[in-house]
Amino acid sequence: MAHFRIYTLYAKAMYNVGFRITGDEDEAQDVLQEAFISAFKNLESYRGDAPFGAWLKRIVINKAVTALQKRKFERIPEDEKWDVPEEDEPVLEYSGGLTVERVKKAIEQLPTGYRTVLSLYLLEGYDHQEIGEIMGINESTSKSQLNRAKAKLRESLMIKEVKE
Amino acid sequence: MKEKLEDFIRANRSAFDDKEPAENGWEVVASSLPKANGFSLWNSVMLWRAAAIVFMVISVYLIIPKANSLLEADNSKMSLKEFQAVEQYYNQEISQKVKLISEISDGEEGNAFTHDLQQLDAMYQVLKEEMKNSPSKQVKDALVLNLLVRINLLNQQLHRLEADYKSEESSV
Repeated sequence: MAHFRIYTLYAKAMYNVGFRITGDEDEAQDVLQEAFISAFKNLESYRGDAPFGAWLKRIVINKAVTALQKRKFERIPEDEKWDVPEEDEPVLEYSGGLTVERVKKAIEQLPTGYRTVLSLYLLEGYDHQEIGEIMGINESTSKSQLNRAKAKLRESLMIKEVKE
Repeated sequence: MKEKLEDFIRANRSAFDDKEPAENGWEVVASSLPKANGFSLWNSVMLWRAAAIVFMVISVYLIIPKANSLLEADNSKMSLKEFQAVEQYYNQEISQKVKLISEISDGEEGNAFTHDLQQLDAMYQVLKEEMKNSPSKQVKDALVLNLLVRINLLNQQLHRLEADYKSEESSV
């Protein structure tokens, strides 16, 4: 069955997309299932102008961001009083070296807003305009959030042991 | 300005997708897939679009008077013979599948699917008349397309019935 094949091709990657944004396994699972159900229901609206995976990923991300917005106590800051410029990366080596495990853990521990913007930019490859559309923030907010996220990430990787 | 951290993340992109979704994920998704009726409707809409376009193209072409009608006549004799052989083969296929389906099916699938087939059959008769009166390659092609479309529809119906049958068996 075509649906099953599509599911097995994309489920793992899409699950991770959702998990990086929601930060919660159960919520990520809900997001994954809802996204696939929605995609299959609306298959006719897939125009083929973007690759299918990209179309599907956008559905997953929208669901994940919606899930975030439902959390009343977590809000992505709308207005920034001043732009946070991109920082020059410290010359120092990261203590313990950079490993995927450490970076993953560090990303997971970022506050939700930072983690979302960072994931969308660095891992999902969206630009600030697209991130703005997805998150309902403006482009400059997205940029400054990203810079803060990166600064925070670097900071946590400087610490010898990342807290489990 | 080289960004060590960014470069590292991008270079190891695939390693960041390490988490596994829950195993029952597919079951949940599958249980809310649109049922057979929806599927059949999609089928008939797409088929009808295809058939309608073909038919319209042919009609337009047939209305335009042909300069070389003599040449057409010769070609049409050849194509008629060719066509009859093809028609015989496909009609056999079709009647075999229709028989199979009526054996497996308990009739509840019946309506939308039967309706599609009947309409395709009606279209076929129209095209066949046209083939008698003013045969041409285009009409022949349309007839062949009709047959293929019907076979495809029948095959899909058979697969669907098989799948239902198998899932019924396994749930016992």
